[in-house]
Amino acid sequence: MRKQTRETGRNRRRYARLEKENIHLREALGTAQSANRAKSTFLSNMSHDIRTPMNAIMGMTSIGLSHIDEKARVQDCLLKIQTASTHLMSLVNDVLDMSRIDSGRMTISEEEFSLPDLVHDIAVIIRPQALQKNQSLILDIGEIYEEELVGDPLRLRQILVNIIGNAVKYTGENGRIRVSFSQHLCADNQAEGKDRVWLDFSCEDNGMGMSREFLKRIFVPFERVNNEATSKIEGTGLGMSIVKNLIDRMGGEIQVESEEGEGSCFRVTLLADVSRRDRKSPNLTAGATVLIAEALEHRSGKICGFLRECGLVPVVVTSGLTAVTWLTEAQYENRMPCAMLLGQKLEDTPSLELASHIRQLAGASFPILLVSETDWSQIEYRTTRAGINAFVPCPLFKSRLLETMSRLLNAGQEDSDKGIDGDYGGCHVLLVEDNELNQEIALELLSLIGVNVETADNGQEALELFEASDENYFDVIFMDIQMPVMNGYEAARRIRRLNRPDAGEVFIVAMTANAFVEDIRLSREAGMNDHISKPIDFEHLKEILSRQLKIRKS
Amino acid sequence: MQPYQEEYIDNLKEITSLTAHKRPEGQSFEEYYMRSLEDQALSERKLVRNMELLRDELFPELDRLPEADGSVLSDLQEFASKLLTYPDELDAGLFCQIRRALLSLMRLGRDRNGIIRELYWLGIGRNNLCNKLVGLELAESEKYMLKMRLCFAEAAAYLKYYDEIDSAETRGYILRSRANISLGQFKSPGEKIRLTKRTLQIMQDKAYQEKEPNLPWERFISMTHQQMTASISRSRTGIMSPEDIADVMESVYIVYHKMLQDMEEQKINPSCRSSFSYFSINYYCGLDTLDGLLTKMEMLMDSADDSDFSQDTMYGMISIPAFYCQYLQEHPEKLPMRTEYLENLYRRILRYVETFPESAGSESLFFYLRQLAHTFVETGNSITYGDFLQTLITRFAPDIYVHSYLVGKAASVLCGIIMEEEPSYFDDMDHIRSIRDPGEKRRKTEEYAMQCGIFHDVGKLNFTNLYSQMGRQWFEEEYEMSQLHTIVGRSRLYASPSTRLYAPAAHGHHAWYDGSRGYPESYRRLECPFRQMVDVIGLIDFLESMTSTEQLHRGPKKTFSDAVEEAVSLEGKRFSPLLTARLRDKEVAQRLEHTLTVSHREAYLRLYEREALPLTGTGRIPAPPG
Repeated sequence: MRKQTRETGRNRRRYARLEKENIHLREALGTAQSANRAKSTFLSNMSHDIRTPMNAIMGMTSIGLSHIDEKARVQDCLLKIQTASTHLMSLVNDVLDMSRIDSGRMTISEEEFSLPDLVHDIAVIIRPQALQKNQSLILDIGEIYEEELVGDPLRLRQILVNIIGNAVKYTGENGRIRVSFSQHLCADNQAEGKDRVWLDFSCEDNGMGMSREFLKRIFVPFERVNNEATSKIEGTGLGMSIVKNLIDRMGGEIQVESEEGEGSCFRVTLLADVSRRDRKSPNLTAGATVLIAEALEHRSGKICGFLRECGLVPVVVTSGLTAVTWLTEAQYENRMPCAMLLGQKLEDTPSLELASHIRQLAGASFPILLVSETDWSQIEYRTTRAGINAFVPCPLFKSRLLETMSRLLNAGQEDSDKGIDGDYGGCHVLLVEDNELNQEIALELLSLIGVNVETADNGQEALELFEASDENYFDVIFMDIQMPVMNGYEAARRIRRLNRPDAGEVFIVAMTANAFVEDIRLSREAGMNDHISKPIDFEHLKEILSRQLKIRKS
Repeated sequence: MQPYQEEYIDNLKEITSLTAHKRPEGQSFEEYYMRSLEDQALSERKLVRNMELLRDELFPELDRLPEADGSVLSDLQEFASKLLTYPDELDAGLFCQIRRALLSLMRLGRDRNGIIRELYWLGIGRNNLCNKLVGLELAESEKYMLKMRLCFAEAAAYLKYYDEIDSAETRGYILRSRANISLGQFKSPGEKIRLTKRTLQIMQDKAYQEKEPNLPWERFISMTHQQMTASISRSRTGIMSPEDIADVMESVYIVYHKMLQDMEEQKINPSCRSSFSYFSINYYCGLDTLDGLLTKMEMLMDSADDSDFSQDTMYGMISIPAFYCQYLQEHPEKLPMRTEYLENLYRRILRYVETFPESAGSESLFFYLRQLAHTFVETGNSITYGDFLQTLITRFAPDIYVHSYLVGKAASVLCGIIMEEEPSYFDDMDHIRSIRDPGEKRRKTEEYAMQCGIFHDVGKLNFTNLYSQMGRQWFEEEYEMSQLHTIVGRSRLYASPSTRLYAPAAHGHHAWYDGSRGYPESYRRLECPFRQMVDVIGLIDFLESMTSTEQLHRGPKKTFSDAVEEAVSLEGKRFSPLLTARLRDKEVAQRLEHTLTVSHREAYLRLYEREALPLTGTGRIPAPPG
């Protein structure tokens, strides 16, 4: 009886165990079936999404081949192929990311990064896209407590570019997008012995928006708004899903508000560690005046705030005429500001024309900084030609502004300590000039700023001196054009033809009163790099030297 | 002045006279043609000589400027002033170049009086350049306006140190610079009015006057008041504040009201300019309606004596009609009632322009005509805008007409050659694609090419000083400015329905095929459905220009075969490979060269016939053969 009872109990337990195992098996089967279904859906979606751009690539390739002699048609095909292949590439990247997320292989790195760098990188990527649609893209920087942070800048950029990129994509021509970056302090900002701040990001647009229904599925992979308006917009439907996963892994939050036809607003909050890397604090003399020429009030207000925090005294003018008047008076009264910050917009003036006039008025040693949203690489040549010494990109960060000013002003200070306007000590110049007085004046001026000058009376002498010099000895050759024995064009041509590595690189500047287009063309054809007109404007000469030295150093 | 400077000035005057329009006056066509060719050759020789004078004399002098003595500097200043003597501006570009060099010298020597003087004159030189920019959007021209204004602003900033400056001349420059800051266009009338108002306050300040009683204060004040009233006619966009209106009204009262009253008492007719300013200011200040103003303007235009070529009548005959048309453009609802008047007005103006004596030619006439061309209103029965433009070109820039005619003819021939091989070559253009009949399609394409050629350089009308009257090579700044002719041309042609089709040729004929260089930036080849024709015009324009006098402004002239060789070397870069492929064919190149040679004579024949014909008042010149 007792034995029977024991067996019954054992059987019950076995039964219960079997039941449990069955449940597990059923669950496992369900999971496997669900995974299988997801995989099928995924494959079905993917094959559709991959096939669409692939079809376009194949189709356009065949159209291009059949019209190979019509450049315009071929170009059109290639542009479409480029669009389709870019889309295909982003699809593959997204899929790989999703796969990493699913398999748990997605890691979030921890490295030091600069918030200004990150924001400027994003601006460089996004601005041209917004410009193409003539959209107003405002990048607003709010309260920032810490600019050097620790986190995964690559993934952070992926999140932000994805959200802002979507805003650009789903907002029409002439639309408005406002992106804002700010920070708020962490209640417990000393967690685990680390300083921390909350990074707040928002992106608001007046684009097509989303329905309430869709908002519920926005983070589901492959979900996209499907209507007539979106049918022509490229997208994988994976972006927001990846964004959500990345933010979750970073311990942050994302919120979306949207009204169909009205626009959308994304808000992201992320906790970031503060970098412990020491930053060199800017060395700026308190009490010094800085002239700001900017008509955009919010921009000049911000600049003033940053400068005042450092004890500098900002003076704001909003037009080119006022700037010139103010500087002429300041120069006359020996109260020149320590620098001028030239803004993006003035009431009356294109900034570069003003810079060019002020460079003449105030001389070569006067620091002029451009504070602008424009991509520096696009305008560098024109701005340096106009006499601008440095560039501060917008959106404006305090550190960028003050560090650039400090670098520029202290370079000037160090130099003036040495009694010179720039660090020309190691600079070797070959001055080719037949006129004795001109040679004397130039020699004196160049020697005054510490440049090592060698002179030649004509092109032939210059050629011989250059040939006899060590490789890369001369930084710049200032070459007169009309000279006896051998003129400047011929000398430049022959220098360029010499069989030595620096023959093609040495910077040759034509120095002549002949300023016709033909003269400039001829000097270029002879291999000269620049052209300055006579009588020599010493400021211009120094400007060329300083620019050239900077390039050689870099 | 030094002998080379006098020779340069004489050469410039002669070039202006040689390139000016010459009426046949009893000559046979052969005599007329031979004379024109001789004039052209002589003008080219003068240009080359001028280059020698500048290279051998002036530039070495500028080169040695720091060691120059006082007499050299005063000669240079005198030379410069002759280059810009009103009303016959001879060479504003060289004027600026000399003044810039003198300014650099003054800055180098920290000569305050010299800096102020040279800033003033450089500003004046730049103002002359700015006057050529009529018809351009402010965005295109503001760079030039600003360069001028910054010079005046810097000189005017010394006003604060008026007491410390002991030179009456320098004080005069400072005050005049202050007044000149408000020259040119502004974004809003308010800006100009505020600047002028401040100048008035300064000019009327007894403290300044008492320190320099010998300066012409009354003239300064009167001119500043005039400047204030001019601020309206030059800045029509934007709304004036009540304060602005009050300021302007005060100036109106002082300048015009009093003057008109005086004239009435003395029974003298007030001038057209004064009356118009008075009427328009009343309108702008809300004291008259637009209909009232238009009616008063009609009275003024009707009362102008078309046999008188004085400045004031010129203003009444050409400039007031320009403003009249501008009002009609801005208020098209007023047009139907005035169509007939407008049509007669244009005919009358053209008759006036055609009878304008050569000796009376001046910069003002051309300035007014540029205004009129900019505000032209085309109506059903009026002369077409195209005819109007052609009259201006043939009358005032015959060399540009000859070039345009040649480009049209050769472009037409090249289009014919292309269509023989590829009838659908120009099918990107809707108006060509829609033609079914191949013969008709080819004929229409050739005709279109001819008209594109005729009109592609109309923008040069703004810059005749850089083309027809230029007696030397261009400076870099002038070359840059000359590029604006594409934008001006496009905007003029696009504004009227009868010429709209030719606007792309004017816009894009200097753009490069691969987009890497060329101008203007606003022309985007791939987005232009007319690009195949624009490419043709660009190529032929290049070939013709390289062999013409115009090339002397950039460098030495070339032979046709050199030009062809250079065009081929730019295949795929500047020029479409589809076109240069045709140019490689020697037979095609020869045909084009032959066309240019034959058409040269034809173009002059057309100019001759136009002059020999009795005046029709239509301005129409005989249509070129298809």
